Amino acid sequence: MPDTLSTSNADHSGEEQKYHAFINLALVLAAITGIELVLVYLPINGTFIFATLVSLSLFKFFSVIAWFMHLLYDKLILTLAFVTGLAIASGTVVALMFIMDRGFVDFEAISAF
Amino acid sequence: MSSSLTEPTAPATHDHALKPEKSNLGLMRPDHSKSVIIDWLTTVDHKKIGIMYGAMALFFLLVGGLEALIIRAQLIVPENDLVSAERYNQLFTMHGTTMIFLAIMPLNAAFFNFLVPLQIGARDVAFPRINSFSLWAFVAGALVLNFSWLMQAFSELGWFTASGPTAGMTDFVPGMGWFGYAPLTERQFTGVGTDFWIMGLQILGIASLSAAMNFIATIINMRAPGMKMMRLPVFTWMTLIVSLLIVFAFPAITIALGQLMFDRVFDTSFFQVAQGGQPILWQHLFWIFGHPEVYILVLPAMGIVSEVLPTFSKKPLFGYSIVVFSGAVIGFLGFAVWSHHMFTTGLGKVATAAFSLLTMAIAVPTGVKIFNWIGTLWGGRVRFDAPMIFSVGFIWMFMMGGFSGIMHSAAPADAQQQDSYFVIAHFHYVAIGGILLASISGLYFWLPKILGKMWAGKLSTWVAILSTVGLNVTFFPMHFLGLIGMPRRTHTYLSGFGWDSYNMVCSIGAFILGFSILLFVIDIILLMTKGKPAGNDPWDARTLEWATTSPPRSYNFARTPIIPARDALWEHKHGAENRKITFVDEGSHGIHMPSQSWMPFVASFGFIPLGLGLCLMQAGVAYMGYVTISGLVIITLGATLWAIEGPGGYHIHPKEDEI
Amino acid sequence: MSDDAHNNDSHHNLMVDNKKLFMWLFLGSDCMFFGTMISTHLIYRKLYPESFDPTSLFSLELTSFSTFILLMSSFLMALAVSAMHKSDIKSFRRNTLGVIFFGLIFLACQVYEFTEFVHEGLTLKSGTFGSTFFMLTGTHGVHVAIGLFWLTCMYFYSFTGKMDPHESAIDVEVAGLYWHFVDIVWIIIFTVIYLIEFIK
Repeated sequence: MPDTLSTSNADHSGEEQKYHAFINLALVLAAITGIELVLVYLPINGTFIFATLVSLSLFKFFSVIAWFMHLLYDKLILTLAFVTGLAIASGTVVALMFIMDRGFVDFEAISAF
Repeated sequence: MSSSLTEPTAPATHDHALKPEKSNLGLMRPDHSKSVIIDWLTTVDHKKIGIMYGAMALFFLLVGGLEALIIRAQLIVPENDLVSAERYNQLFTMHGTTMIFLAIMPLNAAFFNFLVPLQIGARDVAFPRINSFSLWAFVAGALVLNFSWLMQAFSELGWFTASGPTAGMTDFVPGMGWFGYAPLTERQFTGVGTDFWIMGLQILGIASLSAAMNFIATIINMRAPGMKMMRLPVFTWMTLIVSLLIVFAFPAITIALGQLMFDRVFDTSFFQVAQGGQPILWQHLFWIFGHPEVYILVLPAMGIVSEVLPTFSKKPLFGYSIVVFSGAVIGFLGFAVWSHHMFTTGLGKVATAAFSLLTMAIAVPTGVKIFNWIGTLWGGRVRFDAPMIFSVGFIWMFMMGGFSGIMHSAAPADAQQQDSYFVIAHFHYVAIGGILLASISGLYFWLPKILGKMWAGKLSTWVAILSTVGLNVTFFPMHFLGLIGMPRRTHTYLSGFGWDSYNMVCSIGAFILGFSILLFVIDIILLMTKGKPAGNDPWDARTLEWATTSPPRSYNFARTPIIPARDALWEHKHGAENRKITFVDEGSHGIHMPSQSWMPFVASFGFIPLGLGLCLMQAGVAYMGYVTISGLVIITLGATLWAIEGPGGYHIHPKEDEI
Repeated sequence: MSDDAHNNDSHHNLMVDNKKLFMWLFLGSDCMFFGTMISTHLIYRKLYPESFDPTSLFSLELTSFSTFILLMSSFLMALAVSAMHKSDIKSFRRNTLGVIFFGLIFLACQVYEFTEFVHEGLTLKSGTFGSTFFMLTGTHGVHVAIGLFWLTCMYFYSFTGKMDPHESAIDVEVAGLYWHFVDIVWIIIFTVIYLIEFIK
């Protein structure tokens, strides 16, 4: 197999770069988790905390996908497959949150509270 | 490159080394089996799998049809007592569930399976063993769902009474409607019928999901050289879109069914009102699946029509790119309209308006397709062979279903039509007038390729006339029945509302429709017994599957074709020299064929104890929890052994001059 | 090795491996799956915020710890995949064992948490909160367990000598994708179930 040698050399240096990216990302993710833990106990405005938590989570979510799951290094088609599912899921969640409203609940019928 | 594409040839010489080999597990692979049963149980050949799906689909079409005929017989006169109210509920529930999940979906799967690899110039799908798994999981799901009839019979005979969680309930067959609205489906109100429905649908869902992912991978990755995406036959495009719809829509119902099961088995509060559960959430989750599901049902039909019309007009499809794009838009928008099934639930002004507008929007790409189909016919040299008659019928009948659909999209009008016979008229026009006519068209078109025999006689004309007459006589009056107020799902009605004559006409129509299906079955039997050899390309068609023998060899193409254009076969036959199909020179190591395997069958077999165990546990039968767990164990074991045995494979060497 | 070129599993039109495409499609589907469950939970919290206050039950420290553990297991998984690409089976085994070990710790934390909650009276039957909490975190836990089973099988298979690094790299990568997905779902669950309850 004449090809393996040259490709494996290229692979190795590519793998080294990815290795460093992974370590860096792991450290960043650990730090973020710590920040989140501290943040909820701080006496700051609730909406701000909520927005920050959501942003941090989104960052963690997308960075694991991009680096650990390789999407950045792979073909676009895979990103499309995943993003479509994500878009449909998010759209549905958002729509449902708007539609389901306390105003429609018949609290008389609920014996639990 | 000669024109020998359409000449029959002798079968491939098989290597004398073609003996079964051992897998990585150390067990013999079931390749080259002499036993027909073992061959078909372990096959990974997409063509055989397609035939099995098709046979089961046609069987369940008849079962569902029988359920419908009993319904119509019950309704032929007011205050009839042919069946009890409970039995009537079970009949319409099973009719809907059977037709959607056990007839149309597997019929579509049959077409996908048989045609897609051939149409893209491949030898098989991306994951042949998963393909087999999907089929047998489907069989398991069908078994679990219909086992309920057996339980009901036992109950009627007095041999079995429900105890434990569903003590006192007598409905063993699902009777809560094919859409299973909460809170009727809770344990206090329905018996194990609901559990059979839940487990049946879950298993069928897994079958559909695995097949869909398989087809997406196949269409994206396994195309022959030169088969660019925009050269694909429209049917293959529709398969891709439908598969994507399945992948993204089924999880919603999987969760909804799971939540319902938890409510029934573990007493959770997802839909139980007293604990705060909101039954409306079931409706949302169900229709988030349910609406894409109806596009999953109809888009393949549109794909079939998009193949048949050009072939019998001897013209390319008018506006190929737009037709493909419209299909994609319909699929995508299909996720945004689910609450149009819920206009009368009090969603609020904004939501109602939004869903109403989006539903109207879906009519646009659908209309575009219809114009393009008509454009295909226009100026063509039209031949009214059987497939063409049904496809033309599709255009008209589906359009009528579309008109009543648009009427529904206006929420104020829908407020009167909801839950009335108007809705039944709408969806039967799109389902029978649309999906069934297109499917029959597809069967008339492709069965000669699948079975290698040509249709004998002109029975198809009678099938066409009687099915169209039957459809219209049954369902057209239902528009009026709905507008004058007859509600759905009522097992009888009183005289004096003005409904009597309409109902009698509908029932007579139903029997005409049933008779036409009987004639169709007879025509298929005549094909199988008296049909003459069809030859490779009896219709002078346009796409790659017609370049193979009828039926195609196990390996589809002796050498991988290189595709120069859209409608590749047509260009090859009638186009310029540089648009002829050439072939990849694959050297001398022959064609790699995937090995057959028991593991998909074993793994999917586990669904039977899983499903039945849980339902019987709900019915109070002892030790059924262990049966359920054993089902899980079998599935896990099957899957693990499957992974370890490896794909295997063997080589075949076709003759030089073969396709 | 001539099987390589004709092996259906690695045929490329768009230069993407079949197995990898299949797994990404499955993950897209799993997004909808978890999305629906998360949606149900959020809806019921929106409808009845006062019905239950989980902040007294939740131990943010424990859950942050288990989140961190899972994140680190994801990191080790990335290293395991990388090792396989470099044909370093020993490193692959070490890292995979690490993933399994951390995954087990995560599951142990979950089990501990669940038993504590049941002790305190929060069960599947405890209204909408109990239902959505246990179904969501329970389903996630089952996904983790399946992943651990898969990785364990892979770990032991690497000792049989039948695991060719060149051919198995894709299988390891696909397992890695699944594991990372399970991790990122947890990140969302952690935020949406635990963290937001603590905002005043």
